[in-house]
Amino acid sequence: MTALLETKGIWQRFGGLVANSDVSISVGRGEIVGLIGPNGAGKSTLFNLIAGVYTPTQGSIIFDGEDVTGLSAAERCERGIGRTFQVVKSFETMTVIDNVIVGALIRTTVMREARRKAHEVLEFCGLAARANTLASQLIPSEKRRLEVARALATEPKLLLLDEVLTGLTPIEAQTGVELVRKVRATGVTVLMVEHVMEIVMPLVDRAIVLDLGKVLVEGKPTDVVRDPKVITAYLGDRHAVGA
Amino acid sequence: MDTAFAQRRRRDLIVAAIFAGLSALVPLFVKDVYVQNIMVLTLMYAALSQSWNILSGYCGQISLGHALYFGLGAYTTALLFTKFGVLPWFGMLGGGLISAAIAMALGYPCFRLRGHYFVIATIVIAETALLLFQNWDWAGAALGIDIPVRGDSWLKFQFTRSKLPYFYFALVLACVAWLVTWWLEDSKWGYWWRAVKDNPDAAESLGVVVFNSKMGAAAVSAFLTAIGGSFYAQFVSYIDPESVMGFQFSLLMALPAVLGGIGTLWGPVLGAVILIPLTELTRSFIGGSGRGVDLIVYGTLIVLISLARPQGLVGLFSPRRKEAAR
Repeated sequence: MTALLETKGIWQRFGGLVANSDVSISVGRGEIVGLIGPNGAGKSTLFNLIAGVYTPTQGSIIFDGEDVTGLSAAERCERGIGRTFQVVKSFETMTVIDNVIVGALIRTTVMREARRKAHEVLEFCGLAARANTLASQLIPSEKRRLEVARALATEPKLLLLDEVLTGLTPIEAQTGVELVRKVRATGVTVLMVEHVMEIVMPLVDRAIVLDLGKVLVEGKPTDVVRDPKVITAYLGDRHAVGA
Repeated sequence: MDTAFAQRRRRDLIVAAIFAGLSALVPLFVKDVYVQNIMVLTLMYAALSQSWNILSGYCGQISLGHALYFGLGAYTTALLFTKFGVLPWFGMLGGGLISAAIAMALGYPCFRLRGHYFVIATIVIAETALLLFQNWDWAGAALGIDIPVRGDSWLKFQFTRSKLPYFYFALVLACVAWLVTWWLEDSKWGYWWRAVKDNPDAAESLGVVVFNSKMGAAAVSAFLTAIGGSFYAQFVSYIDPESVMGFQFSLLMALPAVLGGIGTLWGPVLGAVILIPLTELTRSFIGGSGRGVDLIVYGTLIVLISLARPQGLVGLFSPRRKEAAR
């Protein structure tokens, strides 16, 4: 089976800074893939390149058999790439349900249908009780879930999660993990950027470690965390025992 | 939950119908021409502010240059009638279409600007247009255009003996602008606009084509504003650049919506009902001194209202506010 998402030799430069150099990764259908790495490794850049915020300086992005490199974020959403933002970007003056309806409207222009879909997604994400609350009045963990709900309403094939579990209490994070599993169970492929290793590692099928803009290691999470190169990248040479 | 939403929409519609019906009856009791004049202006500004609200309130692209579209509507109607004998009704439609087209042509470069830069661009463009019209001889330059009076007629949309026909037309205009907003509010466009206003990046990630959304809002907003301008030209039957394209019109379109509640269905109506009579009354009662006392009083009142309710007066009646407080 072909991969759902493939990046081929991605380079991204911002002025003199090379944020991604020759990054080639692939994400299979139905996988949960974790994209990890220390600060400044180029995770967010790669993420934004896949979501369509930037166009790569060089290289191409293949999604579902189609070259989407030149498409805008909106066009990629239509193709089936949904995303959340690291710093939540709710529509603050709108209610929770209205936030989600915006997402649902890409699949239907019939308002009743969009509203029904939005309710369904809120139910799925455990936000149904907050449907008529203004987004600005949600607590941080609810806002994160709203980000996921909104993206799910666009019926994505690939869901990009940008640090949705970071900064949550352990219980909230655990609920988040359950949600990600539930999402995958519905057939959606998940690519997640995450900092909190101990939460991500049991969740993902595969981890890709970026460092200094390059793919450092990729493989099973259990192998990756023991890899001396990864430990060096995160903690420095002295901690890389057995290296 | 769905039913609660549908109920609110239906209730809005019923309340609007009641208001419209009651307004239609007012002239039966109010015969004073001066007061009727104020009522016409109030309805007109309610319609204009509602139109402004579509682009600036819902879509969040604050325009302080809507006088341009108002003036284009007035000029198109007046020029077509005086130069080519085209009936004002067609002039009205033509003015609307021209304004919508120009709004999109201007939007093409301007919608790349964000926040204050966009506002500045709208002011500059409207002022430039004002200067162009002041120097355009064919369009009457600074002297303006006198619309010849040929007797009362609905066909020519002129009435000299009574203000009532203008009143009813302004009422229809206000209702149409309200209905368009009501309808758009629960449409794909309405949701897209609010999303664009709140967070363009997030909107884009959800498949909203931000640029096209802004263009759509600008076109609808300019079209309706121009209709108001056409109406005004017929109502006053004499126009010159300063009196239909002056900066004060841009402000008078924005203020009712801001005061009443920006980006809300009822804000512009409420704002106009309070603000326009206030403007006219302060002017006629204390404006004669020539020292601008009316403007001081007027300004003070606006400041006081904004201080008391920065989110707009409409929040005082909003069911959503009660929900939020619960």
